[in-house]
Amino acid sequence: MAIVLKITPTRFRASGSKLDSQRRYIRKVSSGEDLRFVNGQNMDVSGGGLRYVQPTGTAVDDSVYDGSFIGTTGTRIKV
Amino acid sequence: MSGFTASSSRIRVVETIGSVDETVFDTDDDMPHIVGTTYLASVAVDFDNLTQTASYVGALCVPTHSLERVNVYVPSVWYSFIVWTPSSYDWYTDTYTSGFMSFDRTYTSGFVSHSWEWVYDPCGYTIPYFEYSVDAEEYSSVTNIADLPTDEDGTALDVDFVIVQATGIRTTGGKDARFDQSLPTTVPTKTFSFQGSLLLESSGEASGGSWFRRIMSVYPSGSKLKLKVQESVKSLSRGAYDSAFPHIGETRSTYSFNLKVFFGKFRQ
Repeated sequence: MAIVLKITPTRFRASGSKLDSQRRYIRKVSSGEDLRFVNGQNMDVSGGGLRYVQPTGTAVDDSVYDGSFIGTTGTRIKV
Repeated sequence: MSGFTASSSRIRVVETIGSVDETVFDTDDDMPHIVGTTYLASVAVDFDNLTQTASYVGALCVPTHSLERVNVYVPSVWYSFIVWTPSSYDWYTDTYTSGFMSFDRTYTSGFVSHSWEWVYDPCGYTIPYFEYSVDAEEYSSVTNIADLPTDEDGTALDVDFVIVQATGIRTTGGKDARFDQSLPTTVPTKTFSFQGSLLLESSGEASGGSWFRRIMSVYPSGSKLKLKVQESVKSLSRGAYDSAFPHIGETRSTYSFNLKVFFGKFRQ
């Protein structure tokens, strides 16, 4: 039978364990992130070269790229 | 200490690991959730053939005749003549008299008068020669491939992120303009996921620098899901005269993708 709600000193489960304290639910945070979600275009090409914008917003170019693409900073995610 | 708290506006679950309380679930946090899913079959991506241009470099001299020396023996003297082939006598006609004391010559083209002598002209005629270059190009196209999920009023949701799960095949394998081999593609043969952009093809010069890139991006904008296809080509010279890029007409690549798109938000 599915667990509706079960609370012990070391674990919380509810809704058939859909919510379980031993899982890691990701959430948006303002700092202390574990990873980032990319929200849009994060590469651009120009002059035969490539710019890759990391989720942190830092641009990484090959030595050829001559464009001005900025990209966007990814959303901070905490696990 | 691990715990669970619930109030009228908040549910919070905390797990203590060692001596550190870690939030497992908190309705006050912005928690990502999927608000819509779209399946897009056979999304086509098409990169056209590259082009090349022949640039005039100069003219090559081509001699009309070659040179040879012919000795003629008239008893008892050897006479030496410079004559020109392919026909030894095609540039002049000699009418000999006794002992070559007089003669009459009719000259053909390919020779010029210089210092009172008729000399061979190494530029009997000229032919132009060219250097070929792949044309530089910046190509970009944006198409709407889906509508964003809507609320109960039919208004497009302002989605916070998009996750794309894709399978794709290259239906036309474009060749490197220089070589009889397909451009390497980075599209996996199995299902893959991405957010934002995807590098499809690239090629480098002999020095290692990039001269050619093809990418695609999938992202939300306004009320639509957009597909942006980009190609960037830096001009590339052949490095040899009168030698065109042999596979310039086979550089077109096409792809077909099946996309499962997850639209997400952090807060309803």
